[in-house]
Amino acid sequence: MFKKLIDSCTEKSPWIYHINSGSCNGCDIELVAVLTPRYDAERLGFKLVGTPRHADIVVVSGPVTSQSRERLIRTIEQVPDPKVVVSLGSCPRSCNVFKGSYSVEGPLDKFVKVDVSVAGCAPKPEAVIDGLYKAAQILKEKRRNMK
Amino acid sequence: MTFNPMYLFYILVFPGFLFTSFAGLLLAGIDRKVLAHMQKRIGPPITQPFYDFMKLMGKETIVPDAAPKAVFLGAPVIGLISLFVTALLIPFAGLTPFYGIADIIVLIYLLTIPAVAIIIGGAASGSPFSGVGISREMVTIVSYELPLILVLLTVGKKAGMALTGGMTFSLIDISAYQAQNGMMITHWAMIPAAIAFLLIIPGEVGTQPFDVAEAETEICEGTMAEYSGAPLALFELSHSVKMFIMTALFTALFLQGWTTGIVALDAVIDLAICILLTIITMTLPHASAARLKVEWLFRFYWQIVAGLALISLILVWLGL
Amino acid sequence: MLPFMKVAVKNLFSKSDCEKYPFVPKEAPANYRGRIVFYPEKCIGCDICERVCSPQAISTSEEQKEDGIYVTRTFHMGSCTFCQTCVDFCPKHAIEMSKDYDMVVTDENDLKVSGTYQKKQRGIPVSAPKPAAKPATEAPVKN
Repeated sequence: MFKKLIDSCTEKSPWIYHINSGSCNGCDIELVAVLTPRYDAERLGFKLVGTPRHADIVVVSGPVTSQSRERLIRTIEQVPDPKVVVSLGSCPRSCNVFKGSYSVEGPLDKFVKVDVSVAGCAPKPEAVIDGLYKAAQILKEKRRNMK
Repeated sequence: MTFNPMYLFYILVFPGFLFTSFAGLLLAGIDRKVLAHMQKRIGPPITQPFYDFMKLMGKETIVPDAAPKAVFLGAPVIGLISLFVTALLIPFAGLTPFYGIADIIVLIYLLTIPAVAIIIGGAASGSPFSGVGISREMVTIVSYELPLILVLLTVGKKAGMALTGGMTFSLIDISAYQAQNGMMITHWAMIPAAIAFLLIIPGEVGTQPFDVAEAETEICEGTMAEYSGAPLALFELSHSVKMFIMTALFTALFLQGWTTGIVALDAVIDLAICILLTIITMTLPHASAARLKVEWLFRFYWQIVAGLALISLILVWLGL
Repeated sequence: MLPFMKVAVKNLFSKSDCEKYPFVPKEAPANYRGRIVFYPEKCIGCDICERVCSPQAISTSEEQKEDGIYVTRTFHMGSCTFCQTCVDFCPKHAIEMSKDYDMVVTDENDLKVSGTYQKKQRGIPVSAPKPAAKPATEAPVKN
């Protein structure tokens, strides 16, 4: 009975959890810039939470390094369904300039299924807002197809 | 007492489950919106906490391996139910469905239960972040209980001295006293107690300068670190309902005694006063101060706030 | 804490600084290094861009068809670091960076910008270039 209501509310309040698995911090700065008064993402309902158990959208930045690989997979598994994984920047897509390094294991989609990619190095905050908006719509589709 | 079918209406609709939840979520939404405007941004729509609640009901509930399942899932339910029972005791818009002789004492115990429910939920989580969270929450409870009891005793004594010469513990008697002698806050000896209660409100609710237990950025949300889905929705709802309960308690203790005759209009005016109090006591400190350390929180409540309440208590006991 | 309270109350009654992005479109500033635009008819196949690219985002592939060899150069935006070195080094200015910053995709192939041109060889006439980004003039036959 409440299914339609829950489905439509899932798109309006997605909570974000950010993981940095070895990035240079440029994309992290653009992500938190999205939550400042200039590009306020909170008017669309986004909120940064402190634990993966509360999150809907997981934003990963940086290539997957040897030290963070196992912890990254375990953290993403702790996120309850339905969830969306967003790869921020060009590092999780293809390891950018760090290809072939001794400590970089590979791009993100070798380990986790990635739903949305935001390309750029670093992407403009407007592009990040677009990526999060698209992730919220994919989240609504996943919720609709759940059970 | 005989069973009155109106009791079902009081328990379920007004002021029971539906009205309290609605008012609590509305206050939380207004708090977020006004905070955003204070920071020169636009902020979420006022109905955002309703969307959050419905979204959380649709998420999967994960129970960690190390957690005892019944305690883990039952802790938020106990906290929420005790808050609803508290709402039935507080006179709102001139209506008191349930009352007794010793309302204030019951209120003190009922207001401790949600905080203890948070501690139990955190202890049942089995995660080190929750361990840090529950020890901080215990210190917070100890620090605000003292001034709260002093303020309640002061108000009871003031009303009791005029009515019976002794002490009264009933909220109905306090309302009757204010109907005869004007609002409690107009007596100058009660002003330090009113200020002390205004400072207790953000500590009890757990909003920003005083939210050491649920520190988002420091300890991964503290006691709520392992909660997800429906139990988390109940915890968020009890956080919002507590805002409404504390502001309604302030109006019941200090700002009663007037009525316009129509219950609906009284309810709307009371709700507007609650909104104003939320903005002054919870949003303004949130926008202008950083989070207090646990030692400073303890010292603040036991020295400054308890001192103000004690001044009022002494003045009232001397008969002023 | 008190000066912050005064600022908070003053901000409450003034207009917000917010740029309402998805509802109000925003254009990137001049000289912004966005998505790459490749003009294949100007390319001479010197491969300097491929050697100079630091994340190795440029790749070339050849295909032999009945009327000649067709060379496809692909720029992978998911690996590009937007440093503009390829633009600076290209001798014929066949690469340009536009102001398009919005590269949000769900499918990786949308991130690849490619262009195809026919390799100029001795004795083989060059057919009219395929309609690419913009209409180009016919290339002269090399003898």
